[in-house]
Amino acid sequence: MSDSAPEISVAPRRSPGFLRRELLALALIVLTATMPLWPIANSYTLAVVVRALLFIALGQAWNVTAGIGGQLSLGHGIFFGLGAYATAILFNRWAIPPWLGFLAGIALATFVAFVMGAATFRLRGIYFALATIAVSLGFLEVTEYYSDFTGGDSGMAVRFLGESWWALQSRSPVPFLWLMLVVVVGFYVLSRWLLQSRLGLEMQAVRDDQDAAAAAGIDVVGTKLKGFLLSAAMTAFVGAVYVQFYLAIDPSTAFGLTEAIQIQLPALIGGLGTAGGPIAGGAIMIFVSELTNWAGTRIGQEGIDVLAYGVLLLVMVTRAPEGMIGRLFGLAGRGRDA
Amino acid sequence: MNAAAPAIEVAGIGKSFGGLVALDEVSFRVAPGEIVGLIGPNGAGKSTLFEVISGSMPPSGGRVMFYGADVTRRPAHLRRRDGLCRTFQKVRLFDTLTVQQNIAVAAMQSVPEGTAWQTAAEHALVRMRLTALARRKPSELTLADRKKVEIARAMAGFCRVLMLDESLSGLTHEEADELVGEIRELNRREGLTIVIVEHVMSVIVALAQRLIVLQHGRLIADGTPAEVVRNPVVVEAYLGTRRRVTA
Repeated sequence: MSDSAPEISVAPRRSPGFLRRELLALALIVLTATMPLWPIANSYTLAVVVRALLFIALGQAWNVTAGIGGQLSLGHGIFFGLGAYATAILFNRWAIPPWLGFLAGIALATFVAFVMGAATFRLRGIYFALATIAVSLGFLEVTEYYSDFTGGDSGMAVRFLGESWWALQSRSPVPFLWLMLVVVVGFYVLSRWLLQSRLGLEMQAVRDDQDAAAAAGIDVVGTKLKGFLLSAAMTAFVGAVYVQFYLAIDPSTAFGLTEAIQIQLPALIGGLGTAGGPIAGGAIMIFVSELTNWAGTRIGQEGIDVLAYGVLLLVMVTRAPEGMIGRLFGLAGRGRDA
Repeated sequence: MNAAAPAIEVAGIGKSFGGLVALDEVSFRVAPGEIVGLIGPNGAGKSTLFEVISGSMPPSGGRVMFYGADVTRRPAHLRRRDGLCRTFQKVRLFDTLTVQQNIAVAAMQSVPEGTAWQTAAEHALVRMRLTALARRKPSELTLADRKKVEIARAMAGFCRVLMLDESLSGLTHEEADELVGEIRELNRREGLTIVIVEHVMSVIVALAQRLIVLQHGRLIADGTPAEVVRNPVVVEAYLGTRRRVTA
């Protein structure tokens, strides 16, 4: 036999410019972290950056199950809402600090994800996607109905204690900017690791062809479930930070379809199944949102940001289905290291 | 698993889709180390039988035994981990993964401990002469190479029986000859039992030690290639004339 034994590596193929992108990422981290020192920085601009980081993190979380795992969750707001409500209710009612509320929200979200996944992942087709929408709308109704507990339609405000690490509360957006920057970098590292880990390879195999995956020995249902639980836990964590930052949550923001769509946009715009896609996509999404809000105020027309999202998504799907990251760095497929 | 038992034993397997009977009381055995060809005209039930044996499709009746163990209700991925491996009629690779990732992810399933999967994946890669293509994506490969990758993925790790579904179709004569050589090597050197569905009669008659013939979901012949090509039932039902067989 002429072939010699190769060095087996399951790491994704590194495309040209890999080092340049790493340096770019490092520069972005430094720029974001030092943003409070910039002359143009004020509470509003810093809050916008925190909002962008929150949606980037939500996009990263959704990308795990939908992008890397190929499981189209259209109601991912469920887990965002559970994380937010669990943290807020535990703090308001029993003074349980959000650091523990996070864990409760994550536990609750993963339990709900487990029940949903176990019930639908054996089925083929669109049942899982439909189930996520149905459960999401179910939670919307339940939250509105049990108003004594959740504040009903109008939502609930988190008791504000002032500057407090214990309660993870601050009048300034700066601590949240740093916290969310750490979360986004952490989720990016997690996504990069996932793409070349055993679980990540199994998820990508199931995404590509689930019959072939089973024929290769992969437990298809178990793999879908693991990816979905991880994604739900990540989403619930971001939901918990979200409610600490905004100090309020309502059923429509938590479980509404608009929120669910906004969770999907960063990965869809930036590049589905890539580690860097949701970061680029989330930044673009919030930029467009701010721009349209500004323009809407000028012309006296609110809500055109949702219209802009739709147009942006249409342009990306028709002109650059590989996403912004794919278009910029010439990546033709998913599962790359970008 | 009983090493002395038949590698595969199919007992009274039936499969119906509504009123359509795709398989009707099919029974046969495959001994360890054999190369068995599964032939029959289009619609004979060969692919359905493949699906049932591999666990991708449950039978309507009957049993599938693998080295003496009843695996009829065992999911496909666990049968693969037991060593029952397969390819597909139309090549089905993981298109977003590289060649070596395609093979490695399969090796990880049946050789999960430590880094043994790496050795298993390397072995499959070298065995099918794919080293130079290890970091390519499937979309960058020729059909022949894609078929080789699928075979490498199927055999990576722990594999005892390799079921090949029309692995030679669409290949040039040279490519088919090369792949036949590889399949023979897998049987001779790796000790793999091979079950192969193929339409290229001259190849399968030369490659297989035994032929099983299906027609309309029923087994109509089971014997050596020489016996089967002389069987008047087979000639009438499937082969048409002796000239086609010997061509």
